[in-house]
Amino acid sequence: MRLETKLALFNALSKLLLVLLGVVVIPPVVSRIAVDHTDQRLHEKKQQVLDLIARDGLAAFIRQEQNQAYADYNILRQEFITLTPDPGPPRVLPRETLFNEPRQLEQATEDFRILSYHFQAQQRPYHLEIGSSLATVELLEATLRRLALWVLVVGALLTILTDAAFARFLLRPLGELITRKLRNVRHPSAFPFAPIPTSTTDFRRLDDSLNEMMHQMQSAFEKEREFMSNVSHELLTPVSILQSRFENLLQDPDLSHAHSLQIVESQKTLYRLRNTVRTLLLIANIENEQFLREETVSLLAVLAEVLNELDDRLAQRELHLRMQLAPDYLVTRANHSLLFTLLLNLLSNAIKYNRPGGDIVVSGQPLPGGGYRLRVADTGPGIAPEHLPHLFDRFRRFHAGGAAAPEGYGLGLPIARTIAAFHEATLTATSEIGKGSCFVLEFGPARSTPADA
Amino acid sequence: MHVLIVEDEKSLQQEIRQFLLHSQYLVDSAFTFAEASEKLFVNSYDFVLLDLGLPDGDGLNLLRESHQNDRQEASFIILTARGDLHDRIKGLDLGADDYLPKPFSLLELQSRMQAITRRKFGLKRQEISFGSGFQMDVTSRVLRHGEQEVPLTKKEFDLLHYLVLHKNRVLTRLQLGEHLWGNILEDDSDSNYIDVHIKNIRKKLTLFAPADFLETVRGIGYRVTE
Repeated sequence: MRLETKLALFNALSKLLLVLLGVVVIPPVVSRIAVDHTDQRLHEKKQQVLDLIARDGLAAFIRQEQNQAYADYNILRQEFITLTPDPGPPRVLPRETLFNEPRQLEQATEDFRILSYHFQAQQRPYHLEIGSSLATVELLEATLRRLALWVLVVGALLTILTDAAFARFLLRPLGELITRKLRNVRHPSAFPFAPIPTSTTDFRRLDDSLNEMMHQMQSAFEKEREFMSNVSHELLTPVSILQSRFENLLQDPDLSHAHSLQIVESQKTLYRLRNTVRTLLLIANIENEQFLREETVSLLAVLAEVLNELDDRLAQRELHLRMQLAPDYLVTRANHSLLFTLLLNLLSNAIKYNRPGGDIVVSGQPLPGGGYRLRVADTGPGIAPEHLPHLFDRFRRFHAGGAAAPEGYGLGLPIARTIAAFHEATLTATSEIGKGSCFVLEFGPARSTPADA
Repeated sequence: MHVLIVEDEKSLQQEIRQFLLHSQYLVDSAFTFAEASEKLFVNSYDFVLLDLGLPDGDGLNLLRESHQNDRQEASFIILTARGDLHDRIKGLDLGADDYLPKPFSLLELQSRMQAITRRKFGLKRQEISFGSGFQMDVTSRVLRHGEQEVPLTKKEFDLLHYLVLHKNRVLTRLQLGEHLWGNILEDDSDSNYIDVHIKNIRKKLTLFAPADFLETVRGIGYRVTE
């Protein structure tokens, strides 16, 4: 998962938690606030009543004919106020309490938040009660709760968005680093050294370290290339001298037949040495990216060229070749001559390790997930299961079909596998003793070119 | 034909020289860049066999130098063991006529030289006669006997042509195989294919005239004699 996605996810989760916390915490807090608010109002009302009593006296409230009690409530029974002479036992005055209690006003009973106040006026104790309907309190509470939650949710969403945008902005250099310097670079020689613009020290350091490492790799590659070039020169020059000398010796009219035969044998040995050196150089050069990879190559076309090269061998061994490529496959970012060598090796093996009059089936089909599979199957003696894992090891030789089987120097398949890897393809083999072997070349889904990555 | 061999490796220089002298070429030698540069300035050659890795300079510069010299009309064949892909491209870009990676067969060198000569002098039809009345048209790749065409496959034609080109020389199976399959890396020396080809060629030739000019040299190879 990408860092940016992770950050955004973490961010969203933490905000979600915050909202959840809000959902749990806000109602009690809000209800507390609402009650406090109501109490505050009741206090204010009480003060107003006391002020009125102080100014106008009790006469305005207490009327003799009404049992010396005063009651008032508004029409929606949201609030009431009562003032009664307090017949109860004498107590320390003034005394104030706040409580919830159901009260009956006219015919309806309602829950009220009540401030009860015992006080003394004109040497007589009085009891003042001011009530506020709890329904009103709850209404206030609900409004407050809804408002708080909305603010919370909107705030959370807004911060999630701004955080994500900021993280994106901050991480942009990292993304650029990954695309430009890691994902698009297939070989050190193609590494772009231009620094990634960023003001973040960590990224600056990462970029610098990458550049530094790549410098070292490039110089290592360069050294290896030089080394290979020198080795090839130092090994191939003496081989060249010997080869020319043998050729000249063979033309000597005074040479005896016995000596001629010896020279031919020496020539064979020398060819073997030469081919080994060349093969190793080829593998090293492929691995060291000394080959261009700029062509788009049709497998069918290369196979046709290979068969053109090998048709005489097919005919000589009376082999039947069937080719079923449905449809053809275009290998992108390929090297034509290397693909030729690869397919030539596979087919030449299929010819070499086959029974006379046998079959070779070359079949190819696209893979479901993109890519392509090419199979080269022969009807030779097959390869023992214990040898299969080492088939592509360099310098390993197997005597596949007894003494009569032709002998190679064990480099044809390693070359083939190296070339396959160069094209980001895999080469594998399956085999059944007595039935034949099958080499499978699998190209991955169409590879992107640096331009569109 | 005047050939300049530019090669710092004395033994190799010696072998090429011997081979070319034997094939009736006039041979001159240079072992260093300086020497080669001077000889190229003074003399005119038909061929320059150029090794790229000279001790005192890059062979490619010699190529560049002599192309600026109007009097020098030599054809250049690059011989190199450096095996560098870019050298080959650069060499051919600079106007080299051919490129042979070391190690190469001297026979191959000679046939390349002949091909260049043919190209240079615009020989439209080059016919080689051999045996009793066989005519080989190299440019259109047809073998005739009298008015009749001898049907040969591509490989058979190449094989016979190579043998005819190096008349009176014994060519080993390896040399023939290398010519046929060129630089294809074969990891074995299975040269039975050559024997089968020769057998088929003989069969086809015998339908027209005796093919005893195509000799088998026991244990060694084949030869076309006159």
